[in-house]
Amino acid sequence: MSARRLVALTLLLVLAVPPLTVAQEAYPSRPITIVAPFPPGGVADLTARPVAAAMERVLKNPVGVVNKTGAAGAVGMQSVAVAKPDGYTLLLALSSISIIPEADKIFGRPPAFTVDQFAPIALISADPTVLVVPADKPWKTAKEFIEDARQRPGQISFSSSGVYGTLHMAMELLSHAAGIKLRHVPHAGAGPALTAILGGHVDALASGPAVVLPHIKSGKLRALAGWGDKRVAALPDVPTFKELGYPDAEFYIWAGLFAPKGTPEPVLAKLRTTVRDAVNEPEFKAAMDKLETPVAFKQGDEFQRFFDADAKRLAEGVRKVGKVESK
Amino acid sequence: VGPLEGLAYGFTIALTPTNLLACFIGVLVGTIVGVLPGIGPVGAMALLLPSTFALHPATALIMLAGIYYGAMYGGSTTAILVNVPGEAGSVVTLLDGYQMTRKGRAGAALTIAAVGSFIAGTLGVVGIMLAAGWLADVAIQFGPPEYFAITLGGLLLLSRLSGGSLVHAFVMVALGLALGTVGMDTVSALRRFTFGSIALSQGVDLVPVIMGLYGVAEVLLLAEQGIAKAQVAGVRLAELLPTPSEWRRSWAPIGRGSVVGFVTGLIPGPASVLSTFIAYNLEKKVSRTPEQFGHGAVEGVAGPEAANNAATAGAMVPLLSLGIPFSPATAILLGALVIHGLQPGPLMIVQRPEVFWGFVASMYIGNLILLILNLPLVGLFVNLLRVPYPYLYPAILVFSVLGVYAVNGSVVDLWIMLFMGVLGYVLRKLGFETAPIVLGVVLAPMIELALRQSLAMSDGHYGIFFQRPIAATLLAVGLVMIVLSLRTFVRRGLDWRARMALLEKGES
Repeated sequence: MSARRLVALTLLLVLAVPPLTVAQEAYPSRPITIVAPFPPGGVADLTARPVAAAMERVLKNPVGVVNKTGAAGAVGMQSVAVAKPDGYTLLLALSSISIIPEADKIFGRPPAFTVDQFAPIALISADPTVLVVPADKPWKTAKEFIEDARQRPGQISFSSSGVYGTLHMAMELLSHAAGIKLRHVPHAGAGPALTAILGGHVDALASGPAVVLPHIKSGKLRALAGWGDKRVAALPDVPTFKELGYPDAEFYIWAGLFAPKGTPEPVLAKLRTTVRDAVNEPEFKAAMDKLETPVAFKQGDEFQRFFDADAKRLAEGVRKVGKVESK
Repeated sequence: VGPLEGLAYGFTIALTPTNLLACFIGVLVGTIVGVLPGIGPVGAMALLLPSTFALHPATALIMLAGIYYGAMYGGSTTAILVNVPGEAGSVVTLLDGYQMTRKGRAGAALTIAAVGSFIAGTLGVVGIMLAAGWLADVAIQFGPPEYFAITLGGLLLLSRLSGGSLVHAFVMVALGLALGTVGMDTVSALRRFTFGSIALSQGVDLVPVIMGLYGVAEVLLLAEQGIAKAQVAGVRLAELLPTPSEWRRSWAPIGRGSVVGFVTGLIPGPASVLSTFIAYNLEKKVSRTPEQFGHGAVEGVAGPEAANNAATAGAMVPLLSLGIPFSPATAILLGALVIHGLQPGPLMIVQRPEVFWGFVASMYIGNLILLILNLPLVGLFVNLLRVPYPYLYPAILVFSVLGVYAVNGSVVDLWIMLFMGVLGYVLRKLGFETAPIVLGVVLAPMIELALRQSLAMSDGHYGIFFQRPIAATLLAVGLVMIVLSLRTFVRRGLDWRARMALLEKGES
């Protein structure tokens, strides 16, 4: 055999091998990918990474996180909706998973994906958003903020993780509850939205507590109120909107793990027990404590019921907000 | 703690055997992924991230960051020797680096690239040390209007990368911008130019575009030219070292490239790619012999290679002092820190000094290791040129395919690479320079998002670009520079209106 032919043959073999090795094997036999549909630094990313690490320790199999970003998370969620349902591509989704198909409906276009394209595995955490403003802004309390917004409709701006994203919806629910109008400046994820408020380019942000805590502690941002039914443990002095008389302004950023619909039941069962063991790991608990994110584990029917109820509430919210005209 | 005490403390951390080993492994892996086309530092860092979970956070950061800046050393090697960028940050290096190889100056180009990278990397660490406390605060003053001004000016100024006609360059930039609009729109979630393809709704990724335009197109061109023509003259040992004149011409570009790179690194976006475009253009502008660029000017290697290294250092500033990553690579570093329970941000330098200062000190050491590692390797790498092309180029094709697939695991990316390869081949046969396409693909999403965010901020009033001092100044500077570059264009022979008229007649 000539040297040239040998090289050609070797190349052919190299190119041909991957499809041949795909065969029936015990799950998992290769690395699992968790898609975080938002850029690093946001809640989805900060939750996905400890979850992946803990699952990896439980499974003794690599579990990686990939950030697939864009369109308020729709890009990454859609990529999982159409991924091969083999348990190797999972989604760490936030509440926006139920918002986006509803928004598509309002625009009268074919949805990027629908919620029934996903099989819920487990709820990992549920965290109320908090309202933060730059520390050099005049508002010391949520009352002052709302009063000012009422007098200057459409003048106070806020950044968000993207149109119809979680951070957008939280603010719109507040606007609706308080009867105010704010100006929306969408960003490509919670990280960039935080940069925008730190730079003073917008006036307000609804954010998960974990990512803004260091900046509240360092004195750059001020927290005015929270969307939860209880105060955030790390911010005991910050009241809830419920206390302030706006019970409709209730919103949680929850993070849950999903697989594409059609994933075989044994694989889903394996994933559920894996996640249950993973969230009980001391290392995972320590990691979530450091993130100041309360773990709220639910799985199976319990998660399905939570998911359905939340989706219904958010769908109503989206319809109240209506079509967002972006400039 | 002042910078000097901090650094002294940092060295006690970085010089422990474990951390030295982590640093060595990091920069070695970085060099290798840099040399291999397609596989970039982001992929390698993501793959190695799980293996760092058991380590101390400082050790994990030292190793992963080593991959990041180490790749900038390796990437130039492939660009200079075989005209294929080893990673995205070395696209510009091949313009003059490969021409130097064709003139038998491959060794000199590699040596200059390694030394330039070392100087820039080291200066960059000095920059982090002195500026991490306050520079990030300056960087966040740049809001959407400022990004729009910067990216628009950058697009217009940088598009004329390698001479040639302005019309040609603009056609290529427009093509790149058009490619950059494919996919879901960030502001309204609208799907554009996807022709019903779900995979395309994620947009066109930079890596397959670069590997297609350079890797695949280069292999096609060489295959056509035939083996005899493609053979490069053998390299003699005496030619490995740069001549005194080459050294002399390189110092200033290395210095300028370091500054350009560090500043670019502070800005969100693919800084290591953008900084090389800026540095190359700057060198061409200040050069007394701009006509040599594109024909093996050593300045065209020294400036960009320094810039992409300094950019990796600059990108650490917003990560370490704000806890906000401005690029995919620093995002992975953030992930590594967060998994270890560290929230980088304004408080980290005070609360976890061993991580911050240990990391800074390790970057000094890492750059030194890279220099020691890369200089002897120059002789080894140059031997690559002795490998007959019929074996070398198919291997490059295979590595490109594997590398592009490894980034997103997407078969569509492979089709994009193939399409861009054929397109790049056709365009180069027609005498077009393809680098402006890359620029367009990089900048299109940034410009569009910044423009629409600015208008959302101002409720639709364009005045926002003139009311904000930084944005207005940036736009004015851009305008002046464009007018200046148009003037030389008008002066050159035929009036531009006459040219445009001729072109339009020919095309319509």
